[in-house]
Amino acid sequence: MSKRILVADDALFMRATLKAILTGNGFEVVGEATNGQEAVELYQSLKPDGVTMDITMPVMDGISAVAKIKEIDPNARIMMVSAMGQKDMVLQAIQAGARDFLIKPFQPDNVVEKVNNLIAA
Amino acid sequence: MKVQYVAPFAEAAINVCQMVLGTTPERGQLAARPQLFTSEQVNIVCGIVGNVEGLVLYGLSGSTALRIASAMVGQKMVIFDQLAASAIAELGNMISGNSASLLAQQGIKCDITPPTLIRGTKVKISTLDIPALVVPLKLGDLGSLEVNISLQERQHHNGLAA
Repeated sequence: MSKRILVADDALFMRATLKAILTGNGFEVVGEATNGQEAVELYQSLKPDGVTMDITMPVMDGISAVAKIKEIDPNARIMMVSAMGQKDMVLQAIQAGARDFLIKPFQPDNVVEKVNNLIAA
Repeated sequence: MKVQYVAPFAEAAINVCQMVLGTTPERGQLAARPQLFTSEQVNIVCGIVGNVEGLVLYGLSGSTALRIASAMVGQKMVIFDQLAASAIAELGNMISGNSASLLAQQGIKCDITPPTLIRGTKVKISTLDIPALVVPLKLGDLGSLEVNISLQERQHHNGLAA
């Protein structure tokens, strides 16, 4: 059975790109969140195997969303996918509970490799 | 407006365009404007907050925006629809985000706000009285991209250090 992924990003283009990469590599994208708040809500209702999470989003940023999801499910597997790759940001994300970090722009192979690692870990 | 803020944006813009568009931008001559102003049709505005604050505006013509969006989406787009707008906005977001990482390496910590896309010509953004430095980039057959950087060191009000 395909692994079920939730994609959280405020940019339609980025959600479409990640969805195309993931579905083309045997994953199922079960939900798309446009901000951190939606990601928390969709995580609860969809219970995905993994989440890709942007950081800079309106309503609720991705790092706050990771912390909320980890409160609900301490075993949640979340990977940040962000253009903000500075050390502080990576540390904050990891401290909030993210397991990995991918900096935009990315190569499709990197997405597949990291999401595979995320759900296998 | 310090010139040292320009280099990270120029470097990030070149790196991101190389990776996303597969073209190496050619940097033109730096110019200064008394205020943030654009005469381009499609503009992406990103707010910068932190040790430095202000706005960065990426301006491009409508036809260049369509060509860039087509290259990013991987199919020819003839209408500047929601997906095209989102692709262009994301290009600005990636350049700003990568610039913030480069600024952090200089010890300047800042965060970026989600990008806003403004369409229309002769846009003057007058919320900030900060001069702008402009880096023109030639993107080969795709057209050109103008990076307008209008940043200042964070102001400490009432004499209080933040």
